[in-house]
Amino acid sequence: MMARSVGRPLKLGLFYAVLSALGASFLLPYVLAAFASLKPINEIFSQAAWVPPTSLYLHNYANALNNYGFLTAFENTVLVTCALTVGQVTFGVLAAYAFARMRFPGRDGVFWVYLMTLMIPNAVTLIPLFTIMRYAHLLNTYWAIFLPYALGVPYSIFLMRQFFLSIPQHLLDAARIDGCSEIGILRRVIIPMSRPVIITATLIAFVFGWNNFLWPLIVTNSTNKYVLTIAIAEVAGGYGTRWDVVLTGGMIALIPLLVLFAVFQRQIIRSVQLTGSVK
Amino acid sequence: MDHALTDAAVTKGSSRGAAGGGGPPTAARPAPTYRRRRLRQGVLAWLRVLPFVGPSLFGVTVFLLLPVILIFVLAFLQWNLLSPPTFVGFHNFVTIFRQDAAGHSLLVTAYYVVLAIPLQTVLALGMAVMLNRKLPGMGFYRVIFVVPFMATPVAMAVVWNWIFDPKYGFANMFIGWFGIPAQNWLSSYKLAMPVLAVVNVWQWVGYNMLFFLAGLQGIPPELLESAAIDGATSWQRFKGVTLPLLRPTMLFVLVTTIIGSFQIFDTVFVLTSGGPGTSTQVLNLSIYQIAFTDFRIGEASAMSVVLFVVVLIFTFIQFAYFRRRTVYEYV
Repeated sequence: MMARSVGRPLKLGLFYAVLSALGASFLLPYVLAAFASLKPINEIFSQAAWVPPTSLYLHNYANALNNYGFLTAFENTVLVTCALTVGQVTFGVLAAYAFARMRFPGRDGVFWVYLMTLMIPNAVTLIPLFTIMRYAHLLNTYWAIFLPYALGVPYSIFLMRQFFLSIPQHLLDAARIDGCSEIGILRRVIIPMSRPVIITATLIAFVFGWNNFLWPLIVTNSTNKYVLTIAIAEVAGGYGTRWDVVLTGGMIALIPLLVLFAVFQRQIIRSVQLTGSVK
Repeated sequence: MDHALTDAAVTKGSSRGAAGGGGPPTAARPAPTYRRRRLRQGVLAWLRVLPFVGPSLFGVTVFLLLPVILIFVLAFLQWNLLSPPTFVGFHNFVTIFRQDAAGHSLLVTAYYVVLAIPLQTVLALGMAVMLNRKLPGMGFYRVIFVVPFMATPVAMAVVWNWIFDPKYGFANMFIGWFGIPAQNWLSSYKLAMPVLAVVNVWQWVGYNMLFFLAGLQGIPPELLESAAIDGATSWQRFKGVTLPLLRPTMLFVLVTTIIGSFQIFDTVFVLTSGGPGTSTQVLNLSIYQIAFTDFRIGEASAMSVVLFVVVLIFTFIQFAYFRRRTVYEYV
């Protein structure tokens, strides 16, 4: 089948043409936005969008960071996303280990409840979560933004538990005979052997935290607590046609993710397929 | 999953063994002692395990289970966050359909689903089939198709807002090359929703393509080869072999996308805020506005309950199907 299609250069050419056209349409929005963010405002309006910038004009970035609150928003996003990720992965690993490898009464019942919570749509919990945060006097704090997702979420606990279950029992027994505590087994055996799934859980948590919009929108109301997504929506609502500010703001949020993707693309693609096979 | 089952079975057996370590309750050893020892062992096991499961147990209870209980309480209250709440029975459910057009929002959301899902699924499958061929450059295209799913939806929404700007946007310039007159994309009743659908398809199609790609790679090549030997054309092979074997993947992709579609918010909030008129007023946007601009917590909670029910229906479809599939696998 392959040899036949390679033998038809016309068909193959058509195949690559379709693929390239699709590929171009997928790259286009970033490329156009990146170009625009490197042009002065008058050129954004006067030039065609697909004309590349002539020089490295970085004024838009300085302007957005310093005069439109994007520096604060960037710092807030980094802080909140890191707290969310570290918490979610640390507490997730601990819980996954307990559910996979420790014995306690009611373990499977508790885990079943965790699984059931996967059916709860995120949108449904937001209003009650808001009232809980209000009751705890945490509204408009960093805590409110990351805490609900930082104590381990069932989805990543489930993912990691499945992986931990596949580690041979005799390795754990050997560590235990050598005098390892439960924490020692986790640190010396489980975590080193589970690097792929832990990277997956970390990436999922980070991208979720970085891109989260509706929840921060609900719990923050002062500019010094804004995360990037809120800052972007704010300038888009307030300075709609200041494309230099708005598009540069968007790029400030996108660039770290594009770097992350460049570094971890293999793991990211594998982790999506991992989540598909687990579900 | 069967790992989990065997493990659970082993645990059950051995924990029974451990509890009975002091001997089963006999006439000589009265039941209360046995029960007390078991209880003490249970408490000790929990104390040992608490540092591990404690944080997530607190998180799941307070941030997931409590909210689900609360939403069903709040839905029956009238509350503006300031004055004390009052119980109003099913009144909120009447209000959201009479006054807040919950029915319209459901229809708008369904319209979005009808526009986005077929396009996204067919495109994702087509792209997966193309990339499944062992030709040079496939890895490169896979990366290009997959990047959007990580891209911050709000950031992409402002980019699309610019691209669909009637005066300065690339979209009108592009269709101008083909002689099509300029459109008022996002302020057009006819086009606003299709634009939202296209934007979201762009964002998620690569993500779904990965599932199809994994599904395609799981199809034994012998099946396709034997079909080819029997003289099946490539379209016949696709229809007769590939597609039926992809059915589980297809269902997974469809259901998760539909569940996600009923919750779209970010792109709608930035691109149209529900407009023009209420033509893109999706359910989640209504919930947000009723709760946090009108401060009618009860009505917003009632609408969340409606959303919950819709999503649950689709979740159960998936569950029912997957149970059936498991049975097939063991037969």
